[in-house]
Amino acid sequence: MSAYSELIKNFEKIRAYMRDFYVYGFKSRDDYQTKSARSYDDERRRLESWLGDHMSFVRTPEGKNVFISIDSRTIRHNPFYHAWKAKSFTDGDVTLHFILFDILHDPSVRRTISEILAEIDGKYLSGFTTPMMFDESTLRKKLKEYREAGLIVAEKEGRKMYYRRTENTDISALNDVLHYFSEAAPCGVIGSYILDKEEEADTDAFTFKHHYITGAIDSGVLASLFTAMREKRVVTLSNMSRHKDLPTKNRIVPLRVFISVQNGRQHLLAYLPEYNHFQAYRVDYLSNVKLEEPTPRFDELRAELDRMQSKMWGVSVKRNKWGVEQLEHVEFTVQVADNEEYIVRRLYREKRIGTVEKLDEHTYRFSADVYDSSEMIPWIRTFICRIVQMNFSNRTQENKFKEDLEEMYRIYGIGKEVES
Amino acid sequence: MIFSELYSAYYNTVAAILSRIIDGERSEKELQKIVAERAFGESLLTIMPSLKSEKWQLLHGDMTTSLEHKPTMPLTTLQKRWLKAISLDPRIKLFGVDFPDLGDTEPLFTPADYYVYDKYSDGDPFEDEEYVRQFRIILEAIRNGSQIKFEMVNRNGKTLYIRCRPKRLEYSEKDDKFRLITAGWHSVSTINLSKMHNCAHYTGPKDLDHAERDKAQDTLTVRVCDERNALERFMLHFAHFEKQAEKLDKNTYLVKIKYAHEDESEMVIRILSFGPMVEVIGSESIKKLVIEKLKKQLNCGLK
Repeated sequence: MSAYSELIKNFEKIRAYMRDFYVYGFKSRDDYQTKSARSYDDERRRLESWLGDHMSFVRTPEGKNVFISIDSRTIRHNPFYHAWKAKSFTDGDVTLHFILFDILHDPSVRRTISEILAEIDGKYLSGFTTPMMFDESTLRKKLKEYREAGLIVAEKEGRKMYYRRTENTDISALNDVLHYFSEAAPCGVIGSYILDKEEEADTDAFTFKHHYITGAIDSGVLASLFTAMREKRVVTLSNMSRHKDLPTKNRIVPLRVFISVQNGRQHLLAYLPEYNHFQAYRVDYLSNVKLEEPTPRFDELRAELDRMQSKMWGVSVKRNKWGVEQLEHVEFTVQVADNEEYIVRRLYREKRIGTVEKLDEHTYRFSADVYDSSEMIPWIRTFICRIVQMNFSNRTQENKFKEDLEEMYRIYGIGKEVES
Repeated sequence: MIFSELYSAYYNTVAAILSRIIDGERSEKELQKIVAERAFGESLLTIMPSLKSEKWQLLHGDMTTSLEHKPTMPLTTLQKRWLKAISLDPRIKLFGVDFPDLGDTEPLFTPADYYVYDKYSDGDPFEDEEYVRQFRIILEAIRNGSQIKFEMVNRNGKTLYIRCRPKRLEYSEKDDKFRLITAGWHSVSTINLSKMHNCAHYTGPKDLDHAERDKAQDTLTVRVCDERNALERFMLHFAHFEKQAEKLDKNTYLVKIKYAHEDESEMVIRILSFGPMVEVIGSESIKKLVIEKLKKQLNCGLK
């Protein structure tokens, strides 16, 4: 049995725990029955170690519940980035890393493998009681890894291969840029990695409202999907649907990531070649993204998605394998009092692909043709108190909306006799 | 690879420790402080002991190192690709910086690779010259702890002349707007940047207060009925607040959320968007607002 370490080898293992502790926060140890008790204890302890004061506990009759509670408006940097900085390594990895970059301390310094090995043994390790031994194959493997990461370049001269570090990049002017975009751009954890290079990074000037920090947990999946899109590749990945117990393996063409800044979810819109079908996948349910062959159809498929976006309220697409689309018409009318211009502004700024029509001084009508009218229901409910008419081509959705309203009246004890 | 020890808190901490040793530091207590500042809660038990015990052969028994140079590492390709990606973002113009030469680095993503589908369409004009000029004045004042003056038109159409001490810029992804959080201005502490005019550094004699005003907080308590996946949707929707959840029975949950009182109206419509799956238990004021809206709706004659 290996000893506990606060570092981890596989990020995927901790991803689900972080999400559960942060998003839900009411589960007790017994609710994690699919994992071993020791695994639960270790992951909880790691999260405590990384997130410190953001972790809280509450005792309930079912046991101790662990949760992560963060008002993202009060923090300057996403605490989940700590988890990305907890990758484990071997004693040899860390020793070799610092010695190697000390030998190759400037881009002008270059060495062959045998020169590096001689320096490691003679200059860096000989003073230790039991010096580590690095053989040529270990060093070659490390240099290959660092070449792939873009840290080292290899240059052949005659029959000899020389290695040197890559040129430095001056990031001294980017402090504010990094502080802002490490929170506001996708895969912001990479910006946080760059900020860590600054010894004394300035206290930043930015905070964030309506800031969904959970997406940070999915940065690895997102980075792979973006890489696939840039290279126009097919990917295979695992999808853990909430309707199934086991993840399914999918072969898809990733086309675009759809990010919500109102519900905290990120979706991948992708094309399934085997079914001639477009589909949205929750990014937080995806894992094991593997890049496959390039597809010549990428540009054509993305152009098709561009066209389809004018019918998408959120992420739903209804287009069958013969390319036939089903659209639903949605229409509702609201009344606006004299001092309520802000409601009109709301309609215009929030209408997305819909249109707003002024019927008279106090009445406005919103209409849209979309793939899935059920996606619009939560938004339409935000106009409760002023909806005077609605007309959905999908009658089931319209009736459900009205039944829900009746249910809300019942919950709050509101009767038909109410006058104002 | 995004998950790599190259970016780890441990590597960064070891680099900082070795730098201090090269500078001549020998006090273990001082070096442990670096660990406490840069690494994790339990790293004190690992990093210095591993260095001192020669497990990681970078530090000798007399607290010296064979390294001759302070540890540095070039940017990785992944870091360059991300920098290239943000250099394509229209908001980059706000900062007026010259990007380093990233050569033929391919961006990690471009604006065509993602789509924020529900942000409001009346976001700030990030490429407007006057907006950018004001943004930079404010940012500079925040950095220097100095003061600014500007004009704004209030809701009654009256022009106000304001002096304040900018503290920070708050960006809302949903509104796609920056707000300035100030100190030293007694009537208001938050203002949308797009509403400010003629912003300039203030160099007059008045030394304004430095303290930011505390925002009054309230607690919203709701009962969530987990139908139609409402629980997951609700918890994710409100994930950015400080909150606590409790399971009441098989499919009912009690959730308490702390929010700024000034955002009460926004909270009401966000709660309403969940329909009958979420019932407000408290506070009384927010419950009253929900009931008022429902009463008005009942009188709208929706058939």
